Amino acid sequence: MFQLMRNIHLALGLLFVVMVAVFAVSSLAITYRTWLPQTPVDGEKTVQIETALAETPRALARTLMQKEDLKGDLRNIEESPESVKFRIFRPGTQVDVEWERSSGQTTLKTRRWGALQMMVQLHTNHGFWHDFMPANLWAGFSLLASVGLLLMGASGIYLWFAHHSERLIGGVLLAVGLIYGLTTLILTRLT
Amino acid sequence: MFDWIKKIHMYAGLLTFTALTVWGITGIHAVSLPPPGGYSPPEVSSAREVPYTAAGNLDDPALAKQIFESIEVPLAGGHYNIHRDDDLNLAFFVFTYNGRRDVTYLEQEGIVQISHRKNAIWSFLSSMHASHSRRGPKALPARMWAFYNEFSLWAFTFMTFSGVYLWAATRPRLRWAQLSLGVTLALSIVLWLATR
Repeated sequence: MFQLMRNIHLALGLLFVVMVAVFAVSSLAITYRTWLPQTPVDGEKTVQIETALAETPRALARTLMQKEDLKGDLRNIEESPESVKFRIFRPGTQVDVEWERSSGQTTLKTRRWGALQMMVQLHTNHGFWHDFMPANLWAGFSLLASVGLLLMGASGIYLWFAHHSERLIGGVLLAVGLIYGLTTLILTRLT
Repeated sequence: MFDWIKKIHMYAGLLTFTALTVWGITGIHAVSLPPPGGYSPPEVSSAREVPYTAAGNLDDPALAKQIFESIEVPLAGGHYNIHRDDDLNLAFFVFTYNGRRDVTYLEQEGIVQISHRKNAIWSFLSSMHASHSRRGPKALPARMWAFYNEFSLWAFTFMTFSGVYLWAATRPRLRWAQLSLGVTLALSIVLWLATR
């Protein structure tokens, strides 16, 4: 049994090591944001899109994805008599689009973040509703890693308990963590 | 060296077990979160009224700030969406870890209405998992949790890398372990490049 649990703990750790590392590094980046400033690279481009290809914002977005090789989820649609605006977003990159109805002139403002900020956006990426398939796959990866984290915790407890010489110190640490963590959680919930 | 890293790995996991469990639950709960723009707040769970007389020379944001400061909502994290409702009353909401408060100022009656929309325990844990020493409400229990959460983050980072070390130092030739790491690395690189 001990060997089985040891193997499960190892397998879970290795299978999810990348996502867990993304969670850890991105959490540090979020927590110490002011110490780790992230400067995106901005770019701007203008293209012409004729009205027939822009009957709806979604049709316009599809046209731009095909012509300009844009990828991501379509967000923040704003329509007015003069223009159509929206954002095409994927973790690490966003493109703000403005299409002028009268002239067909389309402005693409691209903001591209570095690896650290992309990890932050992967950390907060969730759900399976994305138009952009890799975002759904990352969300699936996050879900599995979260389940894996709970299972690693459970198997880790078993492995610790099997080390008889560590039961006293480990038991104290586990108790301190549980009492402190649960007390602060419960008191905050009751505030 | 190996023995110490193994001990610290184990002790770190035991001490931070509560936080790791909260993070795991939060990650599972995140799957059910709606897409941007799809959020709908919980039902009103309780309401109270506070007498309040506004100074006549404040604009809406300044008045909302004064009301926000005077009503002292527990665990308040900020006030947002300042606007006039359909009856032209000043309205905004206050974010808290326990669910938002909808605040409406009935100027003619001199009353502030505060409606609490208590959130589910999963949403509460989700908010708690994101707190750290410089972020979160000022209430003492929430502050204490925030420090524990931040400590757990360092422990988690240590365990991530020490776990790989412990494997490499003891059973590096284990074929299925190599395969597991290889598969996850390959998939992650492909997915990263596809996203980039």
